[in-house]
Amino acid sequence: MIVGFLAPAVIIFSLVFLYPICRTVIMSFFKIDSVTAATDTWQFVGIGNYQKLFTTDIFKTAMFNIARIWFIGGLIVLIISLLFGVILTSGIRGKKFFRAIIYLPNIVSAVALATMWLQYVYSPKFGLLKSFLDAIGLHELAKTQWTAPEHVFWALLFAYCFGMIGYHMLIWMSGIERISPEYYEAATIDGANKIQQFRYMTLPLLKGVLKTNITMWSVSTAAFFVWSQLFSSVTANKGTIVPVQYMYMNIFGAGNAVTERNAGYGAAIGIILCICIVVIFTICNLLIKDDDLEF
Amino acid sequence: MAKEDKVKTKWNLKKELRLAPGYVVIILWVLFTLILLGWILAASLSTTADIFAGKALEFPTGLHFENYTKAWGDGGVATFFMNSLLYSLVSCALLVVICAPAAYVLARFTFMGNKIIQTGFVSAMGVPITMIVLPLFCVVANMGILNNITASKVTLIFLYVGINIPYTTIFLLTFFANLSRTYEEAAAIDGCPPTRTFWKIMFPMAQSGIITVTIFNFINIWNEYFLSLIFANNDALRPVAVGLYGMLQSMQYTGNWAGMFAAVMIVFLPTFILYLFLSEKIIGGVTGGIKG
Repeated sequence: MIVGFLAPAVIIFSLVFLYPICRTVIMSFFKIDSVTAATDTWQFVGIGNYQKLFTTDIFKTAMFNIARIWFIGGLIVLIISLLFGVILTSGIRGKKFFRAIIYLPNIVSAVALATMWLQYVYSPKFGLLKSFLDAIGLHELAKTQWTAPEHVFWALLFAYCFGMIGYHMLIWMSGIERISPEYYEAATIDGANKIQQFRYMTLPLLKGVLKTNITMWSVSTAAFFVWSQLFSSVTANKGTIVPVQYMYMNIFGAGNAVTERNAGYGAAIGIILCICIVVIFTICNLLIKDDDLEF
Repeated sequence: MAKEDKVKTKWNLKKELRLAPGYVVIILWVLFTLILLGWILAASLSTTADIFAGKALEFPTGLHFENYTKAWGDGGVATFFMNSLLYSLVSCALLVVICAPAAYVLARFTFMGNKIIQTGFVSAMGVPITMIVLPLFCVVANMGILNNITASKVTLIFLYVGINIPYTTIFLLTFFANLSRTYEEAAAIDGCPPTRTFWKIMFPMAQSGIITVTIFNFINIWNEYFLSLIFANNDALRPVAVGLYGMLQSMQYTGNWAGMFAAVMIVFLPTFILYLFLSEKIIGGVTGGIKG
């Protein structure tokens, strides 16, 4: 029974995850003309693919962009979502309604959401930002071309963060709601105000949840792709290119970023992203010690 | 807001005042979200000329439902929509049938490799899709079925099922682990074989977990983009996310903005309607699969 029940899941898992992961690792050490090329045409180049990637300007830009998205976007998302989580659990009315609306962007297709931002919020003709800035009298600022090369990265980052906040807020909230209200009653009796309670009780007890949040954020950042593709036109845009997009163009598409076709690069990019996640995860585990507080 | 304030004063002014900054922040954010969606809805019922004149909210020429019928028919949204529906529904059903037994076995029995399989599934949830997509493409391309519509659809469904197996299994695993063992013991005493016990007793008992995870799978597969972009290389195969992207590219040349917003709404509506009815279940389930 055990075998029969497990077999389908494990077999498909091996086909879709185990085998491709092993093969990708191997591929990253070879020069491969096309993804579909037979194994005997592969040329072993050692770590040549990695060296080549890190001397390619556009890939370095892509890594720099994704690092900025991870760090700056992470700060913005985790802070705002924590703030929202704290506000929603502080006993305000309509909590369920607010929570549902804030989470709503997460269930919308990223393509649809990015289109809404791109074609409406940032539109230079009838956009929300333009109308809003015009309405409060900042006509000069209203003329800004938000998706012009010098602003597009920030436009992309804010639009992306907007969509991610709901999810992280829910993770924070589940952590906050697990803390027993008795602690707060006791602290209030002892004379601690709301801010002190937050600083010395809520935050330390949320360490484990912070770790979850950072992990989830890193995993979703590593797959960052749709937004870049929508915010750049057909050709690669220096402001928004990210590693996955570079890989996609390198292997499946045409584009001005492709200098030399080599599926080994694509594999190496996958490995680099994976290593980044592992490193972040390890550092998190070292820095944020779960004290296994019982609460 | 003024009305709300009056209601509040009846309760406890002091408490509400203390929370006022929180209310302001949240209400501004929620308002922004609602304006964003509301405007897109309005624009999808307007005309391109009205949108550019900044009159999308005034409907000077009435409501234009033909944007939807046009996008649905001529724009090809119908095909994408039906594809997505097929992929999502079939994949969700297969995922339940494949993952529920696996999750049950992993949660209930101790055997060699149990921990390894669980660790493997959990780690797989953190593996970037870029790690697996190249070999998969190689295999699929070498099978020579990229030009066969039916075979490609089956391949796509297989891939959607495959990438969602770790998440679905782990989610259901925690669910089965929390069910009491007494039912199985009673069934065993009455002479019910284990396999039958699972399908007749435990599977129905896990119903609420199965429904939650299915909603998530449906939303994920409906919105899936990267795999579909690579493996669905034909308009007859494309699901909504990729189809919409293609339409956006062409709309920028034809300049049919109202039609574009209508297409966005059509893609947005199914998951939104699910959310309208099931938001409590969805929100409750988000953190269900994660250990804090």
